[in-house]
Amino acid sequence: MRNGNIHIRGWGAVTALGWGADQGARRLIAGDVHPAGVCGSAHLVNREFKGFEVACDGNPLEKAMKMLDASIAEAFERGGLSAPEIAESALLVGTTGGIFIRNEHEFTESVRRNPGKESPPIVCRNRGPGEVADVIARRYGIRGLPMTFSMACVSSSHALVVAADLIAQKRIRRAVVVGFEPLLNLTLQGFASLLLYDPDECRPFCNRRMGMQIGEAASCVILEESDSAAAGKSGFAFAGGHLYNDNKSLTSAGTDGEMVRGVVSRALLKAGTEPGEIVAVKAHGTGTRDNDLSEGRGLAKVFEKHLPPVVSLKATIGHTLGAAGTVETALWLSCLEAGVIPKSFGFAETDPEIGFAPSQENLPAAAGAYLFTYFGFGGTCTAYVIRKMAS
Amino acid sequence: MTEKLKHSSLPVIAAGYLGPALVPNADGAWEEAKLPANPDDLVQKMMGQPMRRAGRFIKLVCCGALACMSRVPEETLRGRSIGIFLATGLGNIDEILPFITQVFKHDGGFPSPNQFANSVSNAAAFFLAKACGIKGVVLTVSQEELSFESALWLAQGYLASGEIDLALVGGCDVFTPSVEDYRERLNLVPGRCRRAPLGEGSAWFLLGGDGEAKIGDILSVEISSGLADAESLPSDDLLKQCEKLFEEFRNNMESPDNGANSALLSFPRKRESRPSDGLVDSRLRGNDREEGFFEDDKISKVFLPGFRLANLDEASWKKSGWDMDDYLIRCGISSTASACGLARALLSRQSSFLVHGNLSSSGRPALMSAVTK
Repeated sequence: MRNGNIHIRGWGAVTALGWGADQGARRLIAGDVHPAGVCGSAHLVNREFKGFEVACDGNPLEKAMKMLDASIAEAFERGGLSAPEIAESALLVGTTGGIFIRNEHEFTESVRRNPGKESPPIVCRNRGPGEVADVIARRYGIRGLPMTFSMACVSSSHALVVAADLIAQKRIRRAVVVGFEPLLNLTLQGFASLLLYDPDECRPFCNRRMGMQIGEAASCVILEESDSAAAGKSGFAFAGGHLYNDNKSLTSAGTDGEMVRGVVSRALLKAGTEPGEIVAVKAHGTGTRDNDLSEGRGLAKVFEKHLPPVVSLKATIGHTLGAAGTVETALWLSCLEAGVIPKSFGFAETDPEIGFAPSQENLPAAAGAYLFTYFGFGGTCTAYVIRKMAS
Repeated sequence: MTEKLKHSSLPVIAAGYLGPALVPNADGAWEEAKLPANPDDLVQKMMGQPMRRAGRFIKLVCCGALACMSRVPEETLRGRSIGIFLATGLGNIDEILPFITQVFKHDGGFPSPNQFANSVSNAAAFFLAKACGIKGVVLTVSQEELSFESALWLAQGYLASGEIDLALVGGCDVFTPSVEDYRERLNLVPGRCRRAPLGEGSAWFLLGGDGEAKIGDILSVEISSGLADAESLPSDDLLKQCEKLFEEFRNNMESPDNGANSALLSFPRKRESRPSDGLVDSRLRGNDREEGFFEDDKISKVFLPGFRLANLDEASWKKSGWDMDDYLIRCGISSTASACGLARALLSRQSSFLVHGNLSSSGRPALMSAVTK
């Protein structure tokens, strides 16, 4: 399915780099980034983990909802959406934790208020991942179809590709695609139990890499069919994408890179783009040994001797899990709009098994095609191409 | 705005569900007191081996889907690309809860890595894909009580686009104690939901193909943007909408070329005269243009009320010729109970026009219509 006539109307992101995609992009471009710090949110039971937290006063539940609001408001404002346009939009959400932050916050508050007493059992009051879409729809009066994808780290990247497919199928005209992932004990402890953390810093594609680091984020990207009056104003088109699920391994994309090669090749085909047209790659680049090996080898197979600059954003905002798709797209678009392909942070030494170094300097962002890749638990993989139009 | 699946019906090749006591495709009264049911014997029987590290959600997803797929001839699947669309309202909550309890109990010290890996919502779809040898489009869709309707709507688009040949679409949700917590997660307010036991289940449909061997058709999925209220949604309005769907179905039967999918043509049509076909023959008795044509010909109209439709004037529905299939007493209330209701009706009723109706907790009415062979 080709998605050639879809433009990106607006975007927004709240990350550890700031309360807005543009602010985050400015810091990326300026190199004003910091390694993950020890997480200090009041709801966290274990303070040994490093992560990328969003700075905010208030309790963690309030913060999470403010993040969600801010990212959506930024996207609506940038896209200049009117109230009727918002109302008629479809709403696609990618999240793994949903509003589980409420349960964690209530539990820790209950313990805090009752010192000396035995901890109560944690109560799960949330209504599943779909609750996020319901909250957003009520808050903004969105009347179009709500749909939530809870698919680990590809949740919102899959949501973007599905949104584009639905627009191409002429079933919707516009999609508000949201990624939402507050910092949870559940995920921090979960990835720790899998021994997937780098205790020092996140080092994507680096030979010294030891694992990932978690970040929290909320983000929003608005896709729209291109015959609308607002078409082309943002200067970016969603050229096409591919989503794929393998069934070999629950936790690995296969270190031979074959699955990555296949998915990226298919995405390029759907986007009508030759490998040689790709200006740069926004890689998943988690910093785990397996993921970087899968992705590095896969990209090398696709591009052979003509690998474009490869950048991972995870050393600056962490792995934002289900929100990674929309978060990294929003930050990247703000960078491109500022005319810069940001450098990849956290790299020191080439891994001979991967054979290349991620981009180590800011580069001018030429008009053309940019490739985005994501991988997740359950053998899931997303790749898509966004075109920056010539101004 | 109403999101519709219209004039593009989906042939149902097979359906399957887990009935009371997790017996595949079995009918019977649902017993809330027996929740949560133990699926281990069923797993052994259907998968041929235990799934020791998997939780109940993953097991129910796999067994429910296999209850459907086991009814499909191998040649129907050969060479076809199949997409999986797993709908779940609450997700893998039976893995998440013990994991997070361990985290808080021990200050994060001793949670199980395996439990975490399996707690990810799409782990179930992965295990199902593995069990069925499916690669490609595998999506886990969650939208509270409209999860299944949303997944069905989405699957139709991927089938129509040619991205996949067949779609394995199903809904699964599992009960987790306590009853009070489960009620809260489902947002069940007394007086604003039907009286039925709490439930869990897994119900699946294999959709698509050219309709050569089907048990029925999904005709429409409509998820309205108009907001209603469980107490204020007039039963009469709902009845009118269902009558309208039936009228559209009848019109498509009469004028199959008028936008209707050719798959519907395998159902007897009003103007068709095939004397050798006893069923069609019987439909043509008398004046075939009269209002009661379908009733005369034993196509019954059946309404399946979802769990948020608390106050239906069943007498007026019956007066209008609709049977009421209160399926929730057979599978209990869960976020994706609609899938169980539809699967059960497709398997147990012949020559029936089915409509399932429900409301989301935020008041979006949703209707699915289907017809059985």
